Amino acid sequence: MTLALTDLRATVGTFELGPIGLTVGSEVLSVLGPSGSGKTTLLQSIAGIVTPEAGTVALDGRELTDRPLEERGVGLVFQDGALFPHMTAHENVAYAAADDDRVADLAELLELDGVLDRRPPDLSGGEAKRVALARTLAADPDALLLDEPLASLDAPIRRRLRSELRDIFADLDVPVIYVTHDRRAAMALGDRVAIVRDGVIEQVDDPETVIDRPASRFVARFTGTDNRLDGTVSGQTDLGAVVRVGDLELRTDVQASSGTAVTACVHPSRIELGREADGDENVFAGRVRRRLYEGDAHRVAVKLAGVDATVTVSVRPQSGTVPENGRETAVWIPPDAIHLLD
Amino acid sequence: MAGRTIRSRIGPRNSDWLTVALLGGGLLVVYYLLPLVALLVSTPPDALLAGLSDPSVRAAATTSVLAATITTVVATILGVPLAYWLARAETRWKSVVLGIVVLPLVLPPVVGGMVVLAVVGEGTPLGGAAAAAGLPLTRSLAGVVLAQTFVASPFVVVTAKAAFERVDRSLEHASRSLGKDRLTTARRVTLPLAGPGIVAGMTLTFARALGEFGATMMVAYYPRTMPVEIWASFQALGLEAAYPVAIVLVAIALLALLVLNTVARNPWQ
Repeated sequence: MTLALTDLRATVGTFELGPIGLTVGSEVLSVLGPSGSGKTTLLQSIAGIVTPEAGTVALDGRELTDRPLEERGVGLVFQDGALFPHMTAHENVAYAAADDDRVADLAELLELDGVLDRRPPDLSGGEAKRVALARTLAADPDALLLDEPLASLDAPIRRRLRSELRDIFADLDVPVIYVTHDRRAAMALGDRVAIVRDGVIEQVDDPETVIDRPASRFVARFTGTDNRLDGTVSGQTDLGAVVRVGDLELRTDVQASSGTAVTACVHPSRIELGREADGDENVFAGRVRRRLYEGDAHRVAVKLAGVDATVTVSVRPQSGTVPENGRETAVWIPPDAIHLLD
Repeated sequence: MAGRTIRSRIGPRNSDWLTVALLGGGLLVVYYLLPLVALLVSTPPDALLAGLSDPSVRAAATTSVLAATITTVVATILGVPLAYWLARAETRWKSVVLGIVVLPLVLPPVVGGMVVLAVVGEGTPLGGAAAAAGLPLTRSLAGVVLAQTFVASPFVVVTAKAAFERVDRSLEHASRSLGKDRLTTARRVTLPLAGPGIVAGMTLTFARALGEFGATMMVAYYPRTMPVEIWASFQALGLEAAYPVAIVLVAIALLALLVLNTVARNPWQ
């Protein structure tokens, strides 16, 4: 199954979506973007709730653009679940299921057995999401769209459902579009990630590429590449371009012509602190400005000497000592961690 | 300036205002109930029994219940789809149509009867043709239904519109994205959820139709409905004679209210 969007445009109120061109095979595409970036409008345009002004939506070559919702074969899991409040969980799932066996299978898959007799108001947030997904899967959709299905759940339930979703998606042989503003969920679930901003897609790539080589400052910022150093390409080594940032020279392994202004992007997890200057390239002196323990890692802000720039470094507790506030420390920025933006 | 007097006497504390407000509301409730109790108490039981056994009262009761039932059915069948359109359409014509729907509510019923007569009266093409075909639209059960529908049907339209507006659109979208067409979606999702509100509207329409006097009197003085019968008794024999008939009407109205409210109980709220 392949879902293809061609030059899709839609307007809702004053918001304009598109043009969007996108092809999704039997894979999971995470759509990541801030609130109001058009993620929901994109899903609603594919599902047929929003009528596009231009462009086409096609599923395996079958044009859907002018088809009503019920004839599209596109399953949509709504952000709030949209469970029918007058039906039990079982009745909700059975609503579009071919037979009771299908309901039983889905109840087992999504661990619904204890809750099938309950009505939506009596379901917990996580249970409601499971029922909503089961109901959508019961219709055997040719494409599955999920609108922030894990939003508003408590962290432990969200993490658990996230890994369960991964398994469920793996067994589906249809295009899955997973919309979220949570970059961890987007990276964890997506075979590819599309970053949307103001109604257009800024980048579509596999998760590693999005993190390592963001296509724009916005993508870098939104995917957590907090270090963006503005500079100029000042020379070349046999490895790649050298970027001058203030008094510092950053060696990189990417190509760029001398004299151009660039932004050097480095993900906080790729920088190391406390490394002795033993001939390694890109080791700079710095002083710790701030430390913030975030549970799984320390975020350390280090002011670099000789340049008006602070880098944020993510330090795992087990990776050695985390320097105290005010301490001087060596900062190693590996050349292969640097991505240059024009 | 009464408000200011009260304020200066009891001070600005909210609880005192609440007490005054509740007392005012209580007064209103008593004012609703007291005349009904007085009506029951002041009418001797034998007069009531006599009223009940009076053939003309029985005929009027039959006509009233029959006509109000037909009116409610007609108003519901025609009005609920209109209410759905009013709740969901996104066009400026919506407010125009809504204005037309509530027009009969603000029109004095007698005037309503007059304007209905202007369309279905014996002298009009439509009324004349219908009468020639053996189905007179005035002085007939059809006339009663026409008059009641004009006056009472807006209640079910307006109430059902509000009920539909409370049904989350995403539930309808969900149903349709699950492969169910509009009709199935309406039957299995929208109508069950809006149902209690629609029944409440039907209750109001039925009650209004049952008590309709002004328009009915203009369009169809005969066959007499209960309100017309009460009026006729009052005119011919005085207030005392009208009381037993009034009690029968009140009893029918209360019974209808009770039945419809039982049906309208919403099990999932």
